[in-house]
Amino acid sequence: MAKNVLVVDDSSSVRQVVGIALKSAGYDVIEACDGRDALGKLTGQKVHLIISDVNMPNMDGITFVKEVKKLASYKFTPIIMLTTESQESKKAEGQAAGAKAWVVKPFQPAQMLAAVSKLILP
Amino acid sequence: MSINLDQALQTFIVEAHELLQVMEQSLLQLETEPADQGAIGAIFRAAHTIKGSAGLFGLTPVVGFTHIVEDVLDRLRDGSVAVDATLIAVLLKCGDHMLELINVVASRGETLPPAALEREAALREALSRYQAPTHLPETVPQSIQTVDAGAGTSAELLWHISLRFGVEVFRNGMDPLSFLRYLETLGQITQVTTLTETIPALDSWDPESCYLGFEIDLRSTAGHATLNEVFDFVRDDCEVSIEAIHEASDRAVSVASEWDAQAEQGPLTASVQRLPAASEPKTRDGNYVRVNADKLDELINLVGELVIASAGASLLARSCHNDPLQEATSTVSGLVEEILDGALHLRMVPIGDTFNRFRRVVRDISQELGKDIELTISGAETEMDKTVVEKIGDPLMHLLRNAMDHGIESADARRAAGKAGKGHLSLNAYHDSGSIVIEIADDGNGLNRERILEKAQERGLVASGAVLSDQEIYNLIFEPGFSTAEAVTNLSGRGVGMDVVKRNITLLRGTVDLDSRPGQGTVVRIRLPLTLAIINGFLVGIDTSTYVIPLDMVQECIELDVHQRQSSRDQGYLDLRGEVLPLVDLREHFSHEGSAGRRQNVVVVRYAEHKAGLVVDDLLGEFQTVIKPLGKLFGALRGISGSTILGSGAVALILDIPALLNQIVQLEARTAQAPYSPTVVAR
Repeated sequence: MAKNVLVVDDSSSVRQVVGIALKSAGYDVIEACDGRDALGKLTGQKVHLIISDVNMPNMDGITFVKEVKKLASYKFTPIIMLTTESQESKKAEGQAAGAKAWVVKPFQPAQMLAAVSKLILP
Repeated sequence: MSINLDQALQTFIVEAHELLQVMEQSLLQLETEPADQGAIGAIFRAAHTIKGSAGLFGLTPVVGFTHIVEDVLDRLRDGSVAVDATLIAVLLKCGDHMLELINVVASRGETLPPAALEREAALREALSRYQAPTHLPETVPQSIQTVDAGAGTSAELLWHISLRFGVEVFRNGMDPLSFLRYLETLGQITQVTTLTETIPALDSWDPESCYLGFEIDLRSTAGHATLNEVFDFVRDDCEVSIEAIHEASDRAVSVASEWDAQAEQGPLTASVQRLPAASEPKTRDGNYVRVNADKLDELINLVGELVIASAGASLLARSCHNDPLQEATSTVSGLVEEILDGALHLRMVPIGDTFNRFRRVVRDISQELGKDIELTISGAETEMDKTVVEKIGDPLMHLLRNAMDHGIESADARRAAGKAGKGHLSLNAYHDSGSIVIEIADDGNGLNRERILEKAQERGLVASGAVLSDQEIYNLIFEPGFSTAEAVTNLSGRGVGMDVVKRNITLLRGTVDLDSRPGQGTVVRIRLPLTLAIINGFLVGIDTSTYVIPLDMVQECIELDVHQRQSSRDQGYLDLRGEVLPLVDLREHFSHEGSAGRRQNVVVVRYAEHKAGLVVDDLLGEFQTVIKPLGKLFGALRGISGSTILGSGAVALILDIPALLNQIVQLEARTAQAPYSPTVVAR
């Protein structure tokens, strides 16, 4: 069974691009538009990997990652943070919160796939 | 892999329109309520999202312009730019321009018409007033690159990868196995050895912890950078080393395992790969023999004795006036010298291993401090005596900590000062006239000259009213009495136990000095002898005594005739081809009785940037000097660093040139204030 990847980003075009790339490589994709939305999507189904933006309304990425780390069933789930070059400090913050992997925006779909496949297989 | 993004591009265009709408509304709201943080946040997010998504589709013109807008908005958000009517007007126009960009570039795939480009230039100009001072507009599309960019995809190589996963790996959501599988996409794994030594006994085994290590042989065309990138996500708590193996000779070429990921990596790795032969061959079983360090020390001690004995034999042979015997001893001396070189070389190790240890330290401390600091290492192949390498670790650690803690500012402060948010720290080593120099440089705030001087005067280290050069002032922080808790907090830090650092380095017969530029950073330079055991010496005679001057500090020897002698004695310096050379009369300095002979000589010595002439009676030539430490009783002697035994069995004292020069420098400082000075005048 294909692995589920949760893509959290307030930009629907980013979600779409990531979604297209991941599906082409054989992953299943679940989308969420901010941290609060994403937390809701974590229950009721197994998510194998989380990709989250930092800057989002309602609940930002860092808070979201901290919340995820509190959930026992997601203790070992890898999290990829979407950072930008201009926000180096956010990357460190994300890593401290528990998102050890990152992809720098703007990225090419192939870069995202490379990062994901380092962490899980489809 | 072809991914059709057309549909997503349409989504982006619709989304961008919505975001620009939000941006416009929030800007208008801001006009009525300048303090509305929510509005500022929304505006920033809009620009940020547009930039990020546009980059995904390679819309460089959109990214380039939006980046500048975002930059100004970021400054607005952190309060370094205030909201005013002009700014809002500019930003509204920026919104319009972004809309145009998206319509033209994204929807129709065209380039902007000249009129629009002119408008953009005007807006960039207007925005630049709100950007951080001396902020260079970044050319953004640097990160729009393919995954393999910067990776030398040349010939297929056999790579050896050593991996030691940290215990936290599982808890960080990482699976060691998935990295191995990912490696398989880059080449063919020919061998994997799993290391299980660190797995604890069952009762203390934590199933959530990782205890594994792997040794992997990978045949791949991927470059070092690409392979290194594979482990970006686990770098924090993992030890990774990647080496190319030269199959022909079965020797590994150490390619400096560059820990820092992203962009900067290209040129470095490229250069390493171009010159694999120049790199240091690393230990690989079969070609190397492990030897106990004590055995080496013993050998070097014996060689030292051999050098002394051989000098004795030569001396005897000369006094016998037996030519064949003299020839024989001279051959023996030559061979002994070679053995000595070889023996000393056995104990030489590259400083790189010590340097590389600090990568982890820098990473950890910078995280602890919440600063983003990058460490660059150069000169890792520079070799020095093992005993020195072992003892230099602690002082280096201290200096690095200081640089990170107090030298490099927080990212915000750095940006405010117009510097990159990422701090930069570099470790460099090189050889310079018989010593090894280690440089620790940061691009932080530099030292506060006034505060140091004030503090030093307060503590009585400097007479009030003394005229000191910047360098002398900076070096005050190495003075014992200088480092106090108060100084730590008041003085943007530095001075924390710096006297301890200096003491440790002095024990290694080294020196340390420091250079700093306000706002630009600090460089600490440690100068160490190559070896602690044996030096090439230059023998000079005063009366019946013999002294040794380390040969690599000797620049030249000059004869001092009677006339010059008188004038230079009066003035205290010599005119050396138009250069002022301060003189030290060693006869006087070491209180030898009696008067000098008809002829005297000057030995010009140099250490770091100081130069002086030592007045001696006789020049006796080169001598392999085995250093014997002075007893505790003589510990307080200044100007003497040790002793040696001559071929005749007589004892000669080794001059401590750095200390002698230092005395001159201090005298110079004093004479600069006093109208004249007694014995040794300078400049």
